[in-house]
Amino acid sequence: MKVTLNWLRDFVDVNIPAEDLAKRLTNAGMEVEEIIYQNEHLHHVVVGKILKIDRHPQADKLVVCQVDIGGQITQIITAATNVFEGATVPVSLPGADLCNGIKIEKSKLRGVDSYGMFCSGQELGIDENYFEGAGVDGILILPDSFKAGTPIDKALMLNDVVFDIGITPNRPDCMSVIGIAREVCAVLGEKMAEIDYSYKTDKEDNVANYIDIDVKTPNCPRYMAGVVKDIKLERSPLWLRSRLFAVGIKPINTIVDITNYILIEMGQPLHAFDQSLIEGKKIIVRQASNGEEISVLNHNTYKLNEEDIVIADVNKPMVIGGVIGGTNSCINEHSKVAVLESAVFNLKNIRMTSKKIGVRTDSSARYSKGVNLASAELGLKRALHLIDKIECGKVVEGYLDKALAKNEARNIVCSVKEINKILGVEIPVAKMGKILNCLGIKTFIDGDKIHALIPPYREDIEADCDLAEEIIRLYGYDVYDDLDYSLFENAKVTVGKYDEKLLLVKNLKQILINKGFYESVNFSMCPSDVCQKLLIEDERTNLIRIANPLSEDISCVRTCMAHASLVNIAYNQSVGNKNIKLFESGRVYLARELPLKEYPVEKEMLSFVASCEGYDFFYLKGVLENLLSETSLKYSLVRSSEPYLHPGISADVVGEDGVKYASFGQIHPKVAKNYSIAGKVFYAEINIEELIKLPPKKHRVNPISKYPIVERDLAVVVNEDIAVGDLSGAIKSACGKLYFSHSIFDIYRNPSIGEGKKSVAFNIRLSDESKTLNEEDINAVIKKVIKSLAFRFDAKIRE
Amino acid sequence: MKEKLLQIKEEALKEFSSCDDLKSLNDLRVKYFGKQGALTVVLKGMRDLTPQERPIIGALVNDVRQNIESSFAKKEEEIATKELAKKLESEKIDITEPSKDCEKGSFHPITRVIDRLSDICVEMGFEVVQGPEIESDYYNFEALNIPQNHPARDMQDSFYITEKFLMRTQTSAVQVREMEKRKPPFKIVSPGRTYRNDSDSTHSPMFHQFEGLVIDENVSMADLKIMLNTMLTKLFGKGTKTRFRPSFFPFTEPSVEVDVTCPNCGGEGCRLCKGTGWLEMLGAGVVNPKVLEMSGIDSKKYKGFAFGPGVDRLAMIENGVTDLKLMFKNDIRFLNQMK
Repeated sequence: MKVTLNWLRDFVDVNIPAEDLAKRLTNAGMEVEEIIYQNEHLHHVVVGKILKIDRHPQADKLVVCQVDIGGQITQIITAATNVFEGATVPVSLPGADLCNGIKIEKSKLRGVDSYGMFCSGQELGIDENYFEGAGVDGILILPDSFKAGTPIDKALMLNDVVFDIGITPNRPDCMSVIGIAREVCAVLGEKMAEIDYSYKTDKEDNVANYIDIDVKTPNCPRYMAGVVKDIKLERSPLWLRSRLFAVGIKPINTIVDITNYILIEMGQPLHAFDQSLIEGKKIIVRQASNGEEISVLNHNTYKLNEEDIVIADVNKPMVIGGVIGGTNSCINEHSKVAVLESAVFNLKNIRMTSKKIGVRTDSSARYSKGVNLASAELGLKRALHLIDKIECGKVVEGYLDKALAKNEARNIVCSVKEINKILGVEIPVAKMGKILNCLGIKTFIDGDKIHALIPPYREDIEADCDLAEEIIRLYGYDVYDDLDYSLFENAKVTVGKYDEKLLLVKNLKQILINKGFYESVNFSMCPSDVCQKLLIEDERTNLIRIANPLSEDISCVRTCMAHASLVNIAYNQSVGNKNIKLFESGRVYLARELPLKEYPVEKEMLSFVASCEGYDFFYLKGVLENLLSETSLKYSLVRSSEPYLHPGISADVVGEDGVKYASFGQIHPKVAKNYSIAGKVFYAEINIEELIKLPPKKHRVNPISKYPIVERDLAVVVNEDIAVGDLSGAIKSACGKLYFSHSIFDIYRNPSIGEGKKSVAFNIRLSDESKTLNEEDINAVIKKVIKSLAFRFDAKIRE
Repeated sequence: MKEKLLQIKEEALKEFSSCDDLKSLNDLRVKYFGKQGALTVVLKGMRDLTPQERPIIGALVNDVRQNIESSFAKKEEEIATKELAKKLESEKIDITEPSKDCEKGSFHPITRVIDRLSDICVEMGFEVVQGPEIESDYYNFEALNIPQNHPARDMQDSFYITEKFLMRTQTSAVQVREMEKRKPPFKIVSPGRTYRNDSDSTHSPMFHQFEGLVIDENVSMADLKIMLNTMLTKLFGKGTKTRFRPSFFPFTEPSVEVDVTCPNCGGEGCRLCKGTGWLEMLGAGVVNPKVLEMSGIDSKKYKGFAFGPGVDRLAMIENGVTDLKLMFKNDIRFLNQMK
């Protein structure tokens, strides 16, 4: 919301510098985001009168001018062709620093001194709408009435200070100059000046002669109209244009400018109809009928429905209520009689309509935040006052007022004790009363009770906490800067605790970090084609779609972690990074049905991915084993069913309960190609949601035998398709209770041992709790092992 | 004989002293103590001595032998030490060659901040909790005093899924769930991902918040201030100050914006804080009684306060990251600086 200092001064005395006022407003919750000095680039620019023009002795295209700049004559050389002797023009003198970046200095042009430059409107930052002649291609010719030597900012009324203030949604009343002025009064402890609503009318005439109103919808709680005849649609006076220009509104003509002026000053949107275009002399406020069409001032035509409000006459819709006016009925250069609408609409309807048709106007912005019922009347009266003041029409006696309700000041009762309890500091009662009075809230204090009369424009104040906020923001939050108070001094003690799932994830992450993995954070959103790219065809293809995505890339919510990991690998490869090892903890989101009717399942996952020289499945397997050893999970490995993994180089971790806890392996070459990934990439994901269900890991220690461990090496030749894991299992069970441990120290493939064969060499360690094993014992066990391997796997002893 | 012995001794000691490797030392040992060794030969000659001469010469022989032996031992050790030193010298390595099997990754800066804040808050008696990221309109808005079509909805652009569900725009949604579930007094924090339909140099469609909520019979704005001061001092270090500025959030009343002394310049004023010495860090306030009532908490009896810093911004400030996009690019050239 932009307001100007001079405009505020119409209502309140401000005797402190603009910066100080801005600071105090900000500290009271009206955040001044920017202070703009209109004349920042207008210093050293004055009104000048050209006394004499001579040809430049050295240049055909230049002339030498003698210029009166107020009690002093200066010489200026110009190439401009629209200047003449006697012309009044803006003159920028040495030291000037214009808004287009031009800095003026004394100079010599082809041997002749020049002490400045004449300015165009553009160089002063104004256009034709603001000042006649400012739009011409040449020097701005000023009215002769302008006195030589007058600073240009003063002459053109460009010397105001503009505050751009961020208004929070709870304060729609501050989307107006008077709203901000009330805040200024409160922070400065000043009284608000009376607002002039007076105007003369033509008592012989009456609005009833021109118009009638019929409100047919409950979504327009108040509709008022006034009539102005003999309107003069011309340029508004400079002071009015100046105000509008300062806050960024284009001046157009008297009536339109006044409606805009009231919008800014009072926060009340107005609309001006040409009375002759209202058929049946009747304004009907109603819900639109389905499919009803209207062409409006932004040159578009919109199709409306029953949610939208239209202002119509007996034959046609004229305005999309609260949003934008139609072309068929608004005032134009031929208009003689204007009907001024000042209304209040249900903010929900306006929000919906504005959002639906994508039209946001100054009017809809205010209605969307809420305009109070009292404002309609004040806005209309103030507009009629201005029309009368600048004499751009004759106000007809009376106005129409269809009000379903009127809001008046409300009385609420609050507790001093409660307010101090919320704030946690003691604020004297008298001080509370004073602050509230400054805000226009009349109070009567009776012991602990504050009876407060809340003005109609403060619909946000309802209870103790609201008053507490009003009091503290003006009392000053710096009261908390040096508190003599210790943390939770009066509160009950509570015990802190971590979330189990987060804690498990944190432990696992630490292991991955120790294994050289970096943590990545990816968006939970993904493109809609992820499943095709990952060859996924199961229920994970039921991606939850975002109804209003920012881009296709993040248009769905992910059902698997692999996509983001592979995108990360591809990106890192593309920028030349090597040895890329990443992990991510995050969720996948699985819909039970689409479109979403109930909450989806959000599964916590941990994924990791490696693209490194020399990396293989077994490194990945080692990392996974490390991670799983943090839990009590007992599991076996089966060939993975994940479609995006290489079918021969991947595995699923399956628990004794048949639940899949993890999948890992090499990325399927087809998938790698889909992501433009080079080389082998290894990926794993762990389902944290399942892991967290497991009982905590317990460590139980077996006694250590005091008898020595004996070891034997054994190499067997088996067919390639025999799993080493199965051989291991068989060895373990064949050793029985003498088993201590075993390891595989060599796996050897060579035609010399036969095609499709491999030799696996084991180191077997045996131990007994009660005695030292002798040669006989050992041989018996090894024999049993050999027999078992031969029987189950057709294993041959390799010599 | 006596002369012979003394001569052997003199010769032996001389030879030992000039010997400087184990092999020649061994040769000398054989020369004197071997089967044909000089000393052995003399000893053999003892048989020819008279009984009177024997003890005298015997003593002399012993003396000479001991002398030679000890000299031999000394020399042996001397040479061994020298040879070991030579061996150690030859095994010397270049200690600046790269280390092995020590690769280490790192936590993401966002995780670091969340973990730090969680630790700090758990210490203060907060419980860390989680909530869904695909949230209903009720928990994300309605129950936080942001009804349908309320102007406060303009403060956030949401990613909608259906009319009822959306990607949560704030971790505040977890507040309501916890208030419904728990009996006061309690203190919770809830870190997590949040989403808004916004993407520019200072906004990411996905970002992180760290929500905090305290419900108790006796907490106020003053507790909020002390608590935040404690938390941010632990995060940014001693001398950190905070200040309140009035603001608006539908679920708190009064609502404040909390500024913290710029951790980059310590409040002196720098580019990060645009010369003000302060950084806007989080929103907070006293829980609106309407919100308490909607969640089934007696607002006459209980008060509460809530706070919610944006984690990503904290992480950027903590680590001197100036480009928000880098936070989600997962470029290892960025991540390996977090080791």
